[in-house]
Amino acid sequence: MKQILIVDDAATVRMYHRAIVEGAGYGVTEAVNGVEALERALDAAFDLYIVDVNMPQMDGYAFLRALRGQDMPQAPAIMVSTEGEDGDRRQALAAGANLYLVKPARPEGLLRHVRLLLGEPA
Amino acid sequence: MTTLASNPVLQQFLQESREGLEGIAASLLALERAPDDGARMDELFRVVHTLKGNCGLFDFPDMFRVIHAAEDLMSAVRAGQIAFGGGMADALLDAMDFVAQQMDDIDVAGRPGNGHTAAAALTARLRALVPAAAAGAGDMRTPVEAAAPQSARMAAALTLAEPAVRAACADPAAAGAAPLWVEYAPEPECFFKGEDPLYQALQLPGVVWRRVTTADAWPAAAQLDPYRCNLLFQAVTTAPRAAVEEHFRYVPEQVWIAPVEPPAAPCADPERAAEAFAIVRAQGEALAPDDGAPWVPGRVLAALATIRGCLRAIGRADLLDDLEVCVAAALEDAAATPLLAWIERHTQGAAAAPPPPVPVAQPEAEPKFGRRADDQPAGRILKVEQAKVDRLMNLIGEMVVARNGLPYLAGRAENQYGARELAREIKAQHAVINRIVDEMQDAIMQVRMTPMSFVFQRFPRLVRDIARRLGKEVELVLEGETTEADKNVIEALADPLVHIVRNALDHGMEQPDERRAAGKPAAGRLVLAARQEADRVVIEVADDGRGIDPARIRQKAHAKGLVDEAQLGRMSDQEAVNLVFLPGFSTAEAVSDLSGRGVGMDAVRSAVDGLNGTVQLTSVAGRGTRLQLTLPLSMAVSSVMIVESGGARYGVPMDLVVETVRVPAGAVHAIGQREAAVLRGRIVPLRGLNELLLLPDTQRRNDADELAVLVLRVQGQNLGLVIDDFCGVMEVILKPMAGILGSLATYAGSALLGDGSVLMVINPKELLQ
Repeated sequence: MKQILIVDDAATVRMYHRAIVEGAGYGVTEAVNGVEALERALDAAFDLYIVDVNMPQMDGYAFLRALRGQDMPQAPAIMVSTEGEDGDRRQALAAGANLYLVKPARPEGLLRHVRLLLGEPA
Repeated sequence: MTTLASNPVLQQFLQESREGLEGIAASLLALERAPDDGARMDELFRVVHTLKGNCGLFDFPDMFRVIHAAEDLMSAVRAGQIAFGGGMADALLDAMDFVAQQMDDIDVAGRPGNGHTAAAALTARLRALVPAAAAGAGDMRTPVEAAAPQSARMAAALTLAEPAVRAACADPAAAGAAPLWVEYAPEPECFFKGEDPLYQALQLPGVVWRRVTTADAWPAAAQLDPYRCNLLFQAVTTAPRAAVEEHFRYVPEQVWIAPVEPPAAPCADPERAAEAFAIVRAQGEALAPDDGAPWVPGRVLAALATIRGCLRAIGRADLLDDLEVCVAAALEDAAATPLLAWIERHTQGAAAAPPPPVPVAQPEAEPKFGRRADDQPAGRILKVEQAKVDRLMNLIGEMVVARNGLPYLAGRAENQYGARELAREIKAQHAVINRIVDEMQDAIMQVRMTPMSFVFQRFPRLVRDIARRLGKEVELVLEGETTEADKNVIEALADPLVHIVRNALDHGMEQPDERRAAGKPAAGRLVLAARQEADRVVIEVADDGRGIDPARIRQKAHAKGLVDEAQLGRMSDQEAVNLVFLPGFSTAEAVSDLSGRGVGMDAVRSAVDGLNGTVQLTSVAGRGTRLQLTLPLSMAVSSVMIVESGGARYGVPMDLVVETVRVPAGAVHAIGQREAAVLRGRIVPLRGLNELLLLPDTQRRNDADELAVLVLRVQGQNLGLVIDDFCGVMEVILKPMAGILGSLATYAGSALLGDGSVLMVINPKELLQ
């Protein structure tokens, strides 16, 4: 079973994303900010990360930069952000995200991208 | 919308949002009393932002509109565009009451009641408080930000338009110009601005194919707002780009134009393939080709995993064979170039993405997407891999060493073989080669020169984000962005500078109210300035914040056991301030996420030392702090003063040498435990090189009983290094000490001299500690 780490400070969003990917048969772990996410990522290997931008203590950009700086197997990361002032696609890519999606990600759209990044047939 | 009981996400939403609403109400009341409480403001913004994000997951348009308007208002307040005032709190509290009311409806009936009128009134009231300049900032979509979905949409739509595109490409009238893809997304409120998007779209010249679609899926009929424009016009035109831009000149931000290539061979699921290729292409977008940064391998691996997934998902695993090779090469060099080349090769046939935006100051402008050479601008720019330039530089370095051998040869011709004529000719030839090699060196340096803007351009955004997160107001001033230095120097500077700036914002700048209380303007000033001084580049980071309190530093350094009482007593305030550079020193009381993550100023200093540079910190309590980094323009060739001591020759880096003097033995005085001489009215401590290198010999004096002294400036002080004799200055290629000698900090490195001997170059900073 492929494992996904969902990083978001909003419990509702975590739950929403979890419902979408769990329903498609993926395992889910949650983290409420970058610090916790980094601890989880160092603990166990994930196949995909779904990361929010704005979080207290350590935001999504800082988490991705730290993650990409680790000497360990790397997995794709989707950065989700509410469009607008802090939704900057280039900044997300530059921090180490591989795909930038605007929140709210509709279930079918999110799932389609998750399956693409994980190499699942259509 | 399903019923509440069957929807745990909705239950979670209500619970989290109710907590959020309570927090918002409390924050608003607190802010009424203390409007300058930046931390409160940040917290408030974050909660509203989360609320909006959560609300967006559901189909509650009235609630969403109100929260969105509230967020835009908060955002303008936090950006300092408007001051927080009483009427604002009222409007926000009313808005939150409305949201709470809607939530109660959801709790009871599973869906909010009709709040359309109330929402419209509240939204208008909140929007009226946002100044015109800030209005819409939250909704602005720059063409770049929206590029990903656009290129994916374009690729999808082009499959429908394919015959028209093929015909347009074959059309002789359009030959020489690829047809253009035009996407026009009128803004939702355009009907209230006297615009007629349909007419605008119909009048577009040169159209060979078009369709109208929706920007977002249509909401249910009950929620449909007929006054909001939800249209998206797509077209393929053969009109020249200028004509299209002219046509949309009043709404440039609502239009996206890209060249169209004939569609690639169709595949089983064209939309999915286009999406996959768009993602593959995006992997190269933000990877700097020769980053050299520590996270490059990680990012290359993540990009590899992503590309692999995308291609497997669309059944194109056949493309992956040579990808692994490229990635191996990329990891070996810790550079992304091979991977970028692969992406470029394999996405040519896919949807043409718009070229990434390139700041004007960046010399390496991306070539325009397209395959015709005549697109190229007249001033030809050649992109060269760094490795090739490095090889050229190494060869020139060897050339310098070989050139330095000629004077020795001339000397031998004269002294050993008695051929004076020949010696003269060799010297003449040496002069010619000398000139050419100097110019070659200069030329290769020019190739590697990079403007400071390469590093500076990231700061406006960084400073804005950090200041905002800390609730501080900061005005960033950049000076001397065009100052150039060697690529390596510039790149190695990036991280230390980021750290320094973070420190300045985190520890140096005060909160706006604290600044006002101190009689300063609320907005702090942070200056990043670069300038060239002789063959060095000087970078200053100055803030007008609270400065560094020497007393606190003393206390702290003492508490951490970094210095003892006696040392503290002898220290001036300025010296005490410089204790922050000691390893293990960090003034941050609380570890925030900005600075103080175990990377202290000692890391900055060692990075600068590694570049053969110096750091100076000056600070006035209450007035601000200034850090000055002085670095060599380039690190390839260094000037060294060759000196003799204890029967051997040593090199001393010229950039530390202030002057060479001969001091009469009688003018050397014993001061305390040390010897010193008075030079130019200043007392200069003297240290013998033999003594420092633990050699038994005493320093030799010349016939006039004078000591040869090299005055060096180390860590801001003048020191006299006593040696036996000076032997002149030479340009050498300094190789760092490797292997077993690598741990010898006493030596900066070694250099090969023209006669084949090895010169050890000392590192005075370490030696004179």
